[in-house]
Amino acid sequence: MLLRLLVLQAALLSLRLGSGAQGTELPSPPSVWFEAEFFHHILHWVPIQNQSESTYYEVELLRYGMEPWKSISSCSQTLVLSCDLTMVTLDLYHNNGYRAKVRAVDGRKHSNWTITRTRFSMDEVNLTVGSVKLEAHSGLILGQIQPPRPKMAPEGDTYESIFPHFREYEIAIRKVPGHNKLTKKVKHENFSFPTPGEVGEFCVQVKPSVSARTNKGIWSKEACIVVSRQYFTVTNLSIFFTFVLLLCGVLALLSLQLYVRRRGTLPAVLVFEKPGSFNLIGQLPSPETQDTIHPIDEEAFSKVSLELRNSELHGSTDSGFGSSKPSLQTEEPQFLLPAPHPVAKRTLGKGASLELENSCSGGSSNSTDSGICLQEPNLSLSMVRSWEQQVRSNSQGQDDSGIGLVQNSEGQPGDVQEGSASGQVSPLGPEVTKEEDPAVVAFQGYLKQTRGTEEKAAKEGCLEEESSTDGFDPPVRMCLDAEEAWPPPVMAKGYLKQDPPEVTLVPSQAPTGQWNHPTEEWSLLGLTSCGDLGTSNWSFAHGLAPLDCVGAPGSLLGSVDSDLVTMPLIATLHSNE
Amino acid sequence: MKAQHVSLWLMGTVLFLCSVHARGFRRCLISMDMRHIEESFQDIKRAIQAKDTFQNVTILSTSETLHKIKPLDVCCVTKILLAFYVDKVFKDHQELDPQILRKISSIANSFLYMQKVLQQCQEQRLCPCRQEATNTTRIIHDNYHQLEVRSAAVKSLGELDVFLAWVDKNYQGIPAA
Repeated sequence: MLLRLLVLQAALLSLRLGSGAQGTELPSPPSVWFEAEFFHHILHWVPIQNQSESTYYEVELLRYGMEPWKSISSCSQTLVLSCDLTMVTLDLYHNNGYRAKVRAVDGRKHSNWTITRTRFSMDEVNLTVGSVKLEAHSGLILGQIQPPRPKMAPEGDTYESIFPHFREYEIAIRKVPGHNKLTKKVKHENFSFPTPGEVGEFCVQVKPSVSARTNKGIWSKEACIVVSRQYFTVTNLSIFFTFVLLLCGVLALLSLQLYVRRRGTLPAVLVFEKPGSFNLIGQLPSPETQDTIHPIDEEAFSKVSLELRNSELHGSTDSGFGSSKPSLQTEEPQFLLPAPHPVAKRTLGKGASLELENSCSGGSSNSTDSGICLQEPNLSLSMVRSWEQQVRSNSQGQDDSGIGLVQNSEGQPGDVQEGSASGQVSPLGPEVTKEEDPAVVAFQGYLKQTRGTEEKAAKEGCLEEESSTDGFDPPVRMCLDAEEAWPPPVMAKGYLKQDPPEVTLVPSQAPTGQWNHPTEEWSLLGLTSCGDLGTSNWSFAHGLAPLDCVGAPGSLLGSVDSDLVTMPLIATLHSNE
Repeated sequence: MKAQHVSLWLMGTVLFLCSVHARGFRRCLISMDMRHIEESFQDIKRAIQAKDTFQNVTILSTSETLHKIKPLDVCCVTKILLAFYVDKVFKDHQELDPQILRKISSIANSFLYMQKVLQQCQEQRLCPCRQEATNTTRIIHDNYHQLEVRSAAVKSLGELDVFLAWVDKNYQGIPAA
């Protein structure tokens, strides 16, 4: 019995040894470890040294704390050094971990087991990012991080559910050509990165982590975006529209101001001009003047003027007209004249100046007091006015200075005002003189009268202007000066001579006296009327008052017309009577 | 009158019960930097777990013991397990490697601090120990004693991550530094 048992034991031992020898022939794999990402658990091992083609490896898995070891047959393939154990380790994130062991098998030989050094638990999972989406918006790069979404994960096991708190992402941004990276840590899946005014390609990498855990993070692949210069951003468009609005507002203000100013500058006389003419100031209706005034033919007037010049009147000096021509001629045409006849409007100031220069340079002019050298007698008077008005900066102007000698074919008050006369005046002057009509000339004389009233009105206006604070001082002074320069007798002359006694126009004093008288009356009337109107209207536009004033005595003018007309134009023109 | 009395009495009772329950619901919070401890453990995890040869046995997580603990018992079980580690595991384990020893020491110090916090909770009667909690911890103790002391100590140290994860889960909401 004992012997049999001994023999059996020996046999068994030999078998065991044999098997053991066979088992120990093969060395066990040096090391076994897990490499895991979110629901992607791979077991790796190092192959044995004397590996043959038929060597394969057996893998067994143990859930920590629960027997038995479970064999994973899908891993037992030849020459494969890793195995995906995700499907059998789905519970990794809820239990205490797994242990795995591997051994080499070759035919009937197999090696010892090699177990993973550490318990494979959730702590060994390396964190990754699913994807990164980038968008560029007006100087900002907006990014959205997508957590990994593995297919093998069971329902309910998402990255956010397993790591609910303290998820963090480290973002590294670089501009394409360079390698310098700017890192930033964010605590949410959305991030933004400002790129003020930069253009080009930006590449972003993200590394996730959980601040309450020790899991390692892996940098994601680079996600790149090209930022191009956007011109039509919301900010740019809004700024542009704001500027446009501001500009419109400024323009509106300016135009309003101009409108307001121009309104005043348009003299009553000009108001009567043909409707087609553009007048910023607006035309004051002066029906009386329109009715009474006859269109002046420039050509006729020019002729008359020529004659006048040649007459004795030519000698007048005081007005400084240069005494070369009777002022009447030049003045009349420009005036009012509602009729569409082109009235030469002399632009204020400049024209006058030019004329002055012409006349003065000529040396023939005997300009005296005003020192204004006017080729045409009218010029002097008108000049003064024009000067004044010029000083006032367009406030009124034209009318009386109307002097306009300018002989614009259009005869627009606006033109007169602007004083573009310079160019216009001189050339036109002579033309006008040539084309004079006797009637026109006569009328001119009449106009003169009106101007005189205007003067008065203007004078009043000037006085009133004093009260205004717009720096009208110079014009006021001018007004005063004009007042002085424009004594009624001058009006009587109608034009030229400023010295009432001289009255070169008419040799006899009678006409002047007549002239004076009506003018005086007229002026008085005008004054009174103007006085009524002046204060109220003055603020609006200085020109208005005188215009009104001018308009008022229209009838008076009419009455005086015949006398006036006859007077100045002297013998030659004195046909009306 | 009677109805009023009855209603008042009922309200009083309800309030009393609520207060009692509320007391029970008051939790003992540990504001602790668990991450520090976890990091320390990760450094020595490989070395310690490699020494654990009895893979099919577990001390802490028998049948998912810890996961089955109810919120009311969490404080009591935490207190008992902290005492278990400090009084038994750290003392029974003999570490020769100084680096590992240093990490183990820092973990032990953190556990001492946590014990102090729980002590204060117990004085405020926020940490009652019920029978269920006591039963669970007894199982753990029995598992520990089934193994040889050194093996048990090594295994318990190797299972520190299980214990720390469980504490982290139960005391969530306290931000880690």
